[in-house]
Amino acid sequence: MTTNLDLTDIQGNIIKAYGAYNFQKARYLFLRINNGDKGRQFVDAITAKVTTAIPWGKSENGDVAVEKPRVTTNIAFTYSGLEALELPTASLREFPDDFMMGMSKRKDILGDDGPSDPENWDKIWKEKVHIWISINAPDMDALIERYNWVAQQVEASDGGVTLLTGHRGGDDEENLPYQDASVLYDESGNPTPKEHFGYTDGIGDPVFEGQTNVAARVLGRGKLMRDGSWAPLATGEFLLGHVDEAMEYPKTAPSPMLLSRNGTYMVYRKLHENVAAFNRFLDEQSKSFSGSKEMLAAKFAGRWRDNGAPIVNAPDDASKDEWDKAFEAADFAGKKRMLTDFTYNNDLHGAKCPYSAHLRRINPRGSLEYGVKEAYETPGALVNRRRILRRGLPYGAVKDAARDDGNHGIIFMALNADIQRQFEFVQQQWINYANDFKEGNDKEILLGNHDTKHPSKAVLQVEPGSGKPPHFINNIPRLVETRGGDYFFIPSITALKLIAAGMVDPT
Amino acid sequence: MATKSGNATALTVLSPIKNGNLGETSFADITRERCLRLPIHEESPLAKVPNTYLARLFILDNVFYESLPANDSVFNFSDITSIFSDSARKKALPRKDTLKSKYLVFSSNFHGDLDTYLTGVWEKWSYIDHEGTQRDVRHIWEHCVAFDRVTDASSFIAYIKRCQLDASLFFNGSTDDSLQEQLKSLYLKQEFTKFAVEHQGKSASEIQQDFKAFIARVQPENLEGPTWQAGKSTP
Repeated sequence: MTTNLDLTDIQGNIIKAYGAYNFQKARYLFLRINNGDKGRQFVDAITAKVTTAIPWGKSENGDVAVEKPRVTTNIAFTYSGLEALELPTASLREFPDDFMMGMSKRKDILGDDGPSDPENWDKIWKEKVHIWISINAPDMDALIERYNWVAQQVEASDGGVTLLTGHRGGDDEENLPYQDASVLYDESGNPTPKEHFGYTDGIGDPVFEGQTNVAARVLGRGKLMRDGSWAPLATGEFLLGHVDEAMEYPKTAPSPMLLSRNGTYMVYRKLHENVAAFNRFLDEQSKSFSGSKEMLAAKFAGRWRDNGAPIVNAPDDASKDEWDKAFEAADFAGKKRMLTDFTYNNDLHGAKCPYSAHLRRINPRGSLEYGVKEAYETPGALVNRRRILRRGLPYGAVKDAARDDGNHGIIFMALNADIQRQFEFVQQQWINYANDFKEGNDKEILLGNHDTKHPSKAVLQVEPGSGKPPHFINNIPRLVETRGGDYFFIPSITALKLIAAGMVDPT
Repeated sequence: MATKSGNATALTVLSPIKNGNLGETSFADITRERCLRLPIHEESPLAKVPNTYLARLFILDNVFYESLPANDSVFNFSDITSIFSDSARKKALPRKDTLKSKYLVFSSNFHGDLDTYLTGVWEKWSYIDHEGTQRDVRHIWEHCVAFDRVTDASSFIAYIKRCQLDASLFFNGSTDDSLQEQLKSLYLKQEFTKFAVEHQGKSASEIQQDFKAFIARVQPENLEGPTWQAGKSTP
């Protein structure tokens, strides 16, 4: 029997990537609580408008469920935010260390050094950030309407909460009161699923038990089973108060159960993209590469930039043409399947998808068995507890593709039940280190914290016995820099009401 | 006893520290601070002692007391008696034991035989402490019982052997080669990687030409150098 999620109790951003519902715009606000009582009243007011995870439009049995809203709103808190809201000490002390410390103090684990050091983050991160509020909308009008409403609630709090300023903007602003994000548009103004390096983003988030329409979506997105099939991951990997992949309740849940159940943790990161460095690096490296420039770009990410084709199934320019034809001919479900349903079982040496490619590092699927027959009980034994839900949108515009500065990148959010075990592990062990991939200390090509003092390299393997030499890419510059962020707790609707009412009672 | 594994030796030394104090600081605490303040990485005195794979120093303050483990399948008899009397439960528990003194523990995995290694410890162990004073191995062991009788390499070896415990389960986490060979291999691997990256796409004749120069520079047969420095953690 599978879990049925309490979709009316779970915040919508945990279950839905709003971008997939044509919500092209987002605005992120950060606030400080100055007074516990007034702060709780503010949370109460926001809670009334918080978007839940209930399905929009017609449900599976044809009933009309809730109408798709014009705009969504979600809310989360830092540890110091929960302190400021005067949660009982007995609840506060049960939160995990990573969340209590917050992101900037975890910089050594995350590799946030040099240009990514908290010293260089947007000014807002020097403030006491307590609350995160996100607004997603299909257009700016709806977004601004809701933003103005939030601003009114701030006003009405009578000094109880302050909307913090200090976001860097695209026109040399240093002190914006919000962080905007938006899908990128093509030349004719149509929305695209691209980010600033030109890659197609947001394909294949994990699928877990209790989500709707699991059977159709689980291929390549759940956990790989021994018979080659895919099963949804355990709910407890992404929601507190539910059983996880170890058949245990996540230990990161503070008491009372009502405070933590149906909530989760969110990692918010503003990731600047050095577009000029990326383009220069790609141009330079493709000179000595035997395939096309696009093929090399695909080797960096594990997917082709134009349509997201997984390089493991389209490993060179010729096979990409074949893949594209099949993709063109496929129906909607078939296309989805071609994008997500794959393994690295036929690519043990990384000759197709390099071990340092973004895709293979953040989700190695079954490939950490290295072809050893039944090395573990299940092919995903080393992977299933390291999965994260990814949310977010690009921000800013590239005004001058020959420059790295400016304000453009990705607002990245990772959702998981255990920040240390899931997000931080992936960041530390799989992105900035490669022992698990038998690649020494080679870093992931796109996100690794490369520095010039110890130049990074990555190996693009070839099939053994093919007679071709492997291709080395070297002197990889820092392509992505952290510009800010923190760790947040996304409570359930029930928990929000308890927090707002000052009724959290762990006894 | 498996004190040896191939050419590797496991050495475990427990040297009793004198009870008593200097001023208001116990000899054990003085020794502890000296251990904690040892320089690390390539500055560590252990990096200078030939053939040290991995070594550590710490103070053993006391033995740990282990009560009866919880038992899911077969319950402990004392758990039943405890229903009637707590003293009956306590009587059934293991006896609590205490050390008569604190110990300086030195454990080292190294290549080769013990006498040669300890001669190296005696002769090569040197560092400048945090106050800028040149120190040798006697500084760490100074307050250990009877260490004042150690005057030279042979009396040091005899002293350490008296304090030595046999290893019962020795897992050698290193290869069986001498440290010099391992450091040279590490160096060669790194240099060769750089060579391969730098020569990508060049003609066979050019690579061959440069490879000769590369071999002349890195001197694969010469263990003395150029090589990776013992204890060094970053390039």
